[in-house]
Amino acid sequence: MTDLVTLKIDGHEVSVPKGTLVLDAAAKLGIEIPIFCSHPKLDPVACCRMCLVEMSGPRGASLQPACAVPVAEGMEVNTQNENVRSTQEMMLGFILVNHPLDCPICDKGGECPLQDQTMRFGPGISQLVEPKRHKNKEHLISDTIVLDQERCVVCWRCIRYLQEWEDKPQLALFERGGETLIDIQHGQPVDAKTGGNIIDICPVGALTNRVARFNFRPWQIERTPSIDPHYSTGDNIRIDTRTHQIRRIVGRENMQVNDQWIADKTRFAYEWVNSDQRLQHPLVRKDGELVPASWSYALQYVVDRLKEISRKNGADAIGGIGSTKLSNESNYLFQRLMRQFIGTNNVDHRNGGDVAALATGLPALADIMKPQYGPNPKVDTIFLVGFDPSEELPILDIHLKRAVLRGGAKLIIAHPRQIELTRYKGPHLAYKPGSEVTMLNVLTKLAMSAGEKNDAELSKLLTGATQQALKDVCDVAVDEAKRAAELLAQSENALIIYGPMAADGPNGPQVINALTNLAMITGHYERLAYIGLDANSQGCRDMGVLPTKLPGHAELDDAEARARLEQLWGCTLPTEPGKTYKQMLDAAGGAIKALYVMGADPASERPDWAANLDKLDLLIVQDLFLTETAQLADVVLPALSWAESNGTFTNCERRVQRAPKALTNPHTKAAADWMILDHLASRLGANWPYADEKGVLHEITEAVPIYRGLTWEALGDQGLQWDAAQVRPTAEYRQAVQPEATASAEYPFALVTGTVSYDGGNMFALTKQMHNIAYGPIVGISPADADRLSVADATPVTVSSPYGALQVQVKISEQVKPGTVWIPESLPQSPVGALLNGSSAEYVKIEA
Amino acid sequence: MGFERFIKGATEIGKAMGVTLKYLRQKPITVQYPTEPVPVYPRFRGKHELRRYENGMERCIGCMLCEAACPTGAIYVDAAENDPQNPTSPGERYARTYEINLLRCVFCGDCEEACPTEAIVLGHDFAMANFNRRDFILTKPELLNPGEPNVVIRPE
Ligand code: SF4
Ligand code: SF4
Ligand code: SF4
Ligand code: FES
Repeated sequence: MTDLVTLKIDGHEVSVPKGTLVLDAAAKLGIEIPIFCSHPKLDPVACCRMCLVEMSGPRGASLQPACAVPVAEGMEVNTQNENVRSTQEMMLGFILVNHPLDCPICDKGGECPLQDQTMRFGPGISQLVEPKRHKNKEHLISDTIVLDQERCVVCWRCIRYLQEWEDKPQLALFERGGETLIDIQHGQPVDAKTGGNIIDICPVGALTNRVARFNFRPWQIERTPSIDPHYSTGDNIRIDTRTHQIRRIVGRENMQVNDQWIADKTRFAYEWVNSDQRLQHPLVRKDGELVPASWSYALQYVVDRLKEISRKNGADAIGGIGSTKLSNESNYLFQRLMRQFIGTNNVDHRNGGDVAALATGLPALADIMKPQYGPNPKVDTIFLVGFDPSEELPILDIHLKRAVLRGGAKLIIAHPRQIELTRYKGPHLAYKPGSEVTMLNVLTKLAMSAGEKNDAELSKLLTGATQQALKDVCDVAVDEAKRAAELLAQSENALIIYGPMAADGPNGPQVINALTNLAMITGHYERLAYIGLDANSQGCRDMGVLPTKLPGHAELDDAEARARLEQLWGCTLPTEPGKTYKQMLDAAGGAIKALYVMGADPASERPDWAANLDKLDLLIVQDLFLTETAQLADVVLPALSWAESNGTFTNCERRVQRAPKALTNPHTKAAADWMILDHLASRLGANWPYADEKGVLHEITEAVPIYRGLTWEALGDQGLQWDAAQVRPTAEYRQAVQPEATASAEYPFALVTGTVSYDGGNMFALTKQMHNIAYGPIVGISPADADRLSVADATPVTVSSPYGALQVQVKISEQVKPGTVWIPESLPQSPVGALLNGSSAEYVKIEA
Repeated sequence: MGFERFIKGATEIGKAMGVTLKYLRQKPITVQYPTEPVPVYPRFRGKHELRRYENGMERCIGCMLCEAACPTGAIYVDAAENDPQNPTSPGERYARTYEINLLRCVFCGDCEEACPTEAIVLGHDFAMANFNRRDFILTKPELLNPGEPNVVIRPE
């Protein structure tokens, strides 16, 4: 029990825990003290002096900042007397002396603490006749954030956010006294991936959102609580709309998920929703051209052709590709349509059946969060395998940084690149792509000896895992591995996270086995987690958009699940396992005659897939844009985005969250996914009973046991987690075998892939303000290799593997290890898939 | 009794005729509208105009305060950033769209009152009949180039 301290504020007694700030104690009594620099998520600095109140102390009553002084027993605080009031008026006066009062053109106007406090606590008259000081008014501190130095009240909130949460001190104070101003350092723009949060916390309109600039007024927008469509952390956002357009996106607090922070991509990249490139009506191919058609024609065409192909070539000649970017409802209905009416298990999504994933996700994001006045994180050690949160999930990244810096957590990183988080000096196992299994096996062995745990069964499985192999196969220093093993063995609560890059292709199942062994012997099996990267990576799997799993992660031959679904759907389910995403696309034009692609763009990933898709008898694409895949389609069905329809998304910790409809587009004929699928179903002879998306979710709660009870109403604004214990595989030691892959003289470089935030996807590229920070078609090369090949930044080179070649530009990067090259996925015009064949590990050569 | 009433009646009639005779000698105050122009009071509130500065720049900065002040929701403003090379109005912000729905407007002048730059003013044009409902929505071109510039700056 924490000690309570009792004090008196304005004559009222209040008892609060020791260490509480006077400001918070007053708030508990409902007494408001005006503030500018203090922020509930940042450390106090007490630099604005707005919160001065009278406190009794050993030397009598004096004015002290309520935001920085902790309570003391018997203290008497006065927030209302004449002295305090005149000080408040004076402090506001001092701020306003140099404030431009741009309110009519200021984006903060209407929700501005300075306006509000001037009205409540200000003097009510203007005393200034002298001219005001002048500074930069439209100062870009990054491509997306504008700083108006005249409006700044020098509260340091922006500086502190970047320091305390991002650990990137990119803004600083310059000059002195009345001339003090905020600026970037050495002309380097703010590039923190969550830097936009400083716009939300700036107490005035000094920092504004360049994308949303002048597009909204706080009093005219409609606010819809929603969630982020980009990242699997499921960050909570608020969508502000007006006249059928998104006008702005800001962060929303959810202390289980994102504190109150959101990533820049979430905040700024929404232009695609209102884009005029959006598909407006169905398209059907006639004489080689895609021409507009009516819904009834397009749908009937789809149904007729599907029936015809199914009759001729069998149901298994048809495949369906769902999407991790779409809601649970869309994906659930999609696989239901494929299984019920087509009668095939050929249904999958990108990074679906091809990646060996665990169904359980992270135990809880809150376990690694360190809120400002919250407890330390539950986990003490975090082991990241093939996963770079700084690029892939920026909000998880700031949680991790905070856990390390303030919560004392240890970080272990296994990644072929020297990712940003390696700067915390945790062990870094820079393994060669493809050698994950050996690395993990050796680590398991080292952890066994470090933790003095002997398990005969496990030891037998690890015979080949020698320290020599670690050097030869993985190119990892033994010392680093030993440090990592010790940390894991000592840790009481380690979290082991692996990303899709580590578990892709034929390696995947072996990697999972190796990870399971490691997690079991160190006692962290319950906290071994696969993390998908897209907004609904988890939900897509939960909904059974997998060739070998029914909804709810049930096996295809799970009699109980089959009976439940067959009764609910009124059909018999196919029994044969289907093809995975890669298998379907490889077989397109061959064994697969027709594909229904919903919200995915496989043609942009690999040129040979684009060629295969072109050979199909029937390609149906349901999307927002005329993507590369849609351009090859026979029928294109225009869909609605996440903001235009209701839906639920499941984040990486299994939290199901609502993304309600925030706007309507009155001009489009596009329809919500569920409605398109529902109409198709009715033309295929069924009568699905859904009134709306909520009806679909209601059925999901019946069809999928882990979603029981998670109805729209029950989810609320903060979402609910489902229980991982129901689907966690039983722990058992398994053999993990290292697959072969070696460099040859001809192809000397190991290729590292992975995802980056600022890629070439439509959801990002259509926001023009962010173009400069996007990745172009690049290949990352280590400085040493660049020297050896005598190439410089931006030199055009050809990277080739036995499967294909890519024209890209060199980007010399310290993060890349000599002997490897880095080409992220989804870059504009350079699909790294062209070099790959089934797995993400490949060897390549580089020619200038 | 009868006589008294007669006298009283006659006086009343005389008085009334007096008024008539008096006005018979004055010029008529009726106006032959529409062939003759109608004079209006300086503070008359008619059709809206958006004013410019002498240098031709628009006064309106797209702050949307008029929209907020309008009791009937007749005004719609959308703002955008000025092109620094070729600004539409002084400062960073201008009105990309400005619309007034005359069918909703009650000519209260609240927008005029709210405007920080005296951009929107109610002019003297009151003849606003039209053949088409759409034409009652005034857009920037019509507001910025009124048929007869007839602007009153409100007395402060
Ligand atoms: S920061 Fe606030 S007070 Fe200052 S110009 Fe903007 S709205 Fe007005
Ligand atoms: S820019 Fe905003 S947040 Fe930063 S110091 Fe100035 S007022 Fe504070
Ligand atoms: S007319 Fe005046 S009040 Fe209306 S948007 Fe323009 S500047 Fe603002
Ligand atoms: S809020 Fe206390 S000094 Fe700024």
